[in-house]
Amino acid sequence: MIIAGLLIFGDEAALGEDVKNIIPIDDVIYEVDNKSLTNRPDLWGHYGIAREIAAITGRKLKPLYVENIEKYNDLETLNLSVEAEDENPLCLRYSAIRIENVTKKMASWKMKVRLYYCGMRSINLLADMTNYIMMELGQPMHAFDANKVHSINVRTLREETDFVTLDEEKRTLDKGVLMIANENEPVAIAGVMGGLNTEIEDETTSVFLESANFDATNIRKTASKYNLRTDAAAHYEKTLDPELTKTSIERFITVLKEEDPDIKVTSAFSDIYLKRYPHIVITIDKDYIDRSIGKELSMEEITTTLTNLEYGLKVDGKVITIDVPSFRATKDVSQKADIIEEIARIHGYDNIEPKTNLWKVAPIEKDPVRELEYSIKELLAVKYGMSEIHSYVWYSFELNKKLGIKVEDNLKITNGIVKEDNTLRRDMAPTMLYAVYKNIKYMPEVKVFEVGRTFDYNFDLKNAIEHKVLGAAIASNNKEEKELVFEAKKMAQDILKINKNISARFINRENIDKSWMHPFNTFDILIDEKYVGYISLVHPKISDNINAKTSIAILELDVDKIGSLAKNNIKFKEVSKFQTVTFDLSLIASSDVKYDKIENIIKSSNMKYLQEYSLIDIYEDSKKLFGKKTYTIRFTIYANDKTLTKEEIDSDREEVLNSFKQNGIYINE
Amino acid sequence: MEEKILKLKEEILKKMSEIKSQVDVENLRVEYLGKKSEVVEILKNLKNVEESKRKEVGEKANSLRQEIEKMVENKKEELKELEYVARIENSEKIDISLPTEKSIGSLHPITITERELEDIFTSMGFTVEDGNEVETEYNNFEAVNVPKYHPARDMQDTFWLENGQVLKTQTSAAQNKIMLKYGAPLKAIFPGRCFRNEALDASHENTFFQMEGMMIDKDVSIANLIYFMKTLLSEVFKKDVEVRLRPGYFPFVEPGFELDIKCPYCDGEGCKVCKHGTWIELCPCGMIHPNVLKMGGIDPDKYSGFAFGLGLSRLAMMKYSINDLRVMNSCDVRALKQMNVK
Repeated sequence: MIIAGLLIFGDEAALGEDVKNIIPIDDVIYEVDNKSLTNRPDLWGHYGIAREIAAITGRKLKPLYVENIEKYNDLETLNLSVEAEDENPLCLRYSAIRIENVTKKMASWKMKVRLYYCGMRSINLLADMTNYIMMELGQPMHAFDANKVHSINVRTLREETDFVTLDEEKRTLDKGVLMIANENEPVAIAGVMGGLNTEIEDETTSVFLESANFDATNIRKTASKYNLRTDAAAHYEKTLDPELTKTSIERFITVLKEEDPDIKVTSAFSDIYLKRYPHIVITIDKDYIDRSIGKELSMEEITTTLTNLEYGLKVDGKVITIDVPSFRATKDVSQKADIIEEIARIHGYDNIEPKTNLWKVAPIEKDPVRELEYSIKELLAVKYGMSEIHSYVWYSFELNKKLGIKVEDNLKITNGIVKEDNTLRRDMAPTMLYAVYKNIKYMPEVKVFEVGRTFDYNFDLKNAIEHKVLGAAIASNNKEEKELVFEAKKMAQDILKINKNISARFINRENIDKSWMHPFNTFDILIDEKYVGYISLVHPKISDNINAKTSIAILELDVDKIGSLAKNNIKFKEVSKFQTVTFDLSLIASSDVKYDKIENIIKSSNMKYLQEYSLIDIYEDSKKLFGKKTYTIRFTIYANDKTLTKEEIDSDREEVLNSFKQNGIYINE
Repeated sequence: MEEKILKLKEEILKKMSEIKSQVDVENLRVEYLGKKSEVVEILKNLKNVEESKRKEVGEKANSLRQEIEKMVENKKEELKELEYVARIENSEKIDISLPTEKSIGSLHPITITERELEDIFTSMGFTVEDGNEVETEYNNFEAVNVPKYHPARDMQDTFWLENGQVLKTQTSAAQNKIMLKYGAPLKAIFPGRCFRNEALDASHENTFFQMEGMMIDKDVSIANLIYFMKTLLSEVFKKDVEVRLRPGYFPFVEPGFELDIKCPYCDGEGCKVCKHGTWIELCPCGMIHPNVLKMGGIDPDKYSGFAFGLGLSRLAMMKYSINDLRVMNSCDVRALKQMNVK
């Protein structure tokens, strides 16, 4: 009795007696480190852990003292029924017994202390008893007031139903939830929580004791749906052994009699057993065990281990036939690999000496896309001073809005924590722009890149198509837009030259289909006329939202596509031993003539000895050269077998000048 | 005549000592050795010297000429030397402590760590494979022995997509495809980005990196797994690491282990990295589940293997002593540019 914080003892204690003689609070804690516990239904009770410790230490497991309940067989059988739609019932087994004349209200100190150490609060004797047996054997039990519960039917709800659980909360349960009902009136959410309507009360002296087994998945779904993660549900979720319902009732009666010797069992053990797990027999030979573990263990060690873990064994030479006990047979142990684990873990993983194997050696094929990816990363970091970042594969709704980035619809996440950030990226550019936005306030120039994935999806497709794409952004508060675009162009050229020895064509993009693209300063990158990426000056509306002073260029390259291209072989050309001649031509052309036109004219001219040409200068001055500009080109010509004569040089020069003339481009005299 | 030679010599010596420039040296040379110089005159006129003295005078005049040549040469060298001294004295004194242009960028810590690991693995004969980021439910779950309704599906907070695919929750999602692609025997690693639908904090990210490996061959045993992991991790941490296995549960392995290493930073003495726990839980691993082999088209009666996972993000954090996982996806260049490129 506790009064005003004082614990008052009755006659059981003499003055000055050690309190530990009355309240057994001495406790020894063994820390058991086992991460696989969730997959071991048999370890969700102390007896299972004891069995394990016995096997590990090689000591004998004490038998579980239980009352034989066969002697009640002649008593009235409780009225039970379980609904089952198919061979996979939601209730595998329902066992019950009725006990009357429970007059003691409080559990013994021993039981209370033990429950306390298990993290449970003592409530009353019957509730404590169900918890105690659950802690001991792992089987959740439920005690109904027998005055309120006379017959049980286990069935799913036919319609949405309001139900008040023991925690005094009213919940609206959906159709299909498995319930325990008394004469069709729900009294408990099966395996999860009892109802307030049949709660054990102070005056309760007779109890209708439930010990059942439910489908683990269904319990888990129900418990998480109604956010009722009770201890009972946690146990059932582990797929308990249905054999345990009977043992638990037997044990319940035994322990209850110790607590309250006057109780009376007033019904037969009543039982509906709808689904039994198949009996599992595994045959394994010793050589297989040794090979799998990589160590030769004695037959004696193997059989002792398995026997201690309560496997049934038949040994015939090197072959062991193993009967899996029911408490391991619900999902945990089903095949040879499981037996290897039992033997190896009890032997001790630390007692297995590391050993190498004779593995075949074969050359490793390198994935060209991965190689390209690394090469790009190194180039951009080392030569271009860029920083690699990792961004998210979905768009930020908030940043898109803030920066004015509009994106196309794409595959969506249905259950993300931030609900609005649900669209997977089709392009790298938006996430690169987020990075510019985050950094530009700290530095005048932001150069970032990522080789990431983009996703293409439309509703005709079953699965999304994934691409590995380089996204790069160069943003600067000082540099001119043109400078940034050309830096991006150089990156693309370097990547292609270094990895594939190819050059690309850069053309004005016709279809400006992304919100961040500049209406005309956006350029497609083509290899053999096939699209592999683009360079774009960022639309001033967006760059203004990022920072009014900032210009930004974006580069995206399809790494998958480029990675799959064959590398152009380098064909070595002998360096000429004869004289090299260079001459410059200054050409005057209409100002809309692009450099690639100049190039095309040079390439298609009939020059015999042209080896190289390069752009030396462009001159545009709207006052002096109205509507015109000049290109100065340097030509390098030579032959491999002779020194060119003046006539030959002049003839080549004439050839190219003629070609220019035919295109309305003249030499600037 | 002899006197004249002597006199000439004295004269030259005197003039030479006063000379300050290369031009003057050259002028002096022309004056005394040029076509019209006295020395040449003497040599030209030797035939007029009486015969008894001719030889002696000739020798003396010649020797004078050689001496002058030598003197000129020496003077030129001496002056050149002085010029260098002057040039050196006038050259700028460079302040090497001035900063250089910061032209090198940075790679992401994950990239650097990943590359290091890949190098170790490829040196041990592993191929490196890429997985997808968006995966089918089958590859992410079923094919690695996580059937529908398995509690492991709940343990991993999955990002579900509207077409029924998922953002892969684990690199294991690539196991099946790789087994079907290569068959047995097989040695492969597959690093990749993984996703978990959870709120962010210093140790939780919804986007992170793992690296997973598989080795399948005849008679691969638990002892092989321990040997291999010990060798590998010793290479990763550049010292002989002590490992231990504890039972662990992962649906795609049986038996499954949690592999711990004795903290390589303090040798188990206790430090911040191991949180004074001596051991660091580093790597889930185990013998590949026969069901997984079967689904990958590999006969579990003929072949066995092991699989292991390495938390790439975690290793990168350990490598650089980064305490907050959120740095990885922050896109914060101020944080990331410290990483260098190797």
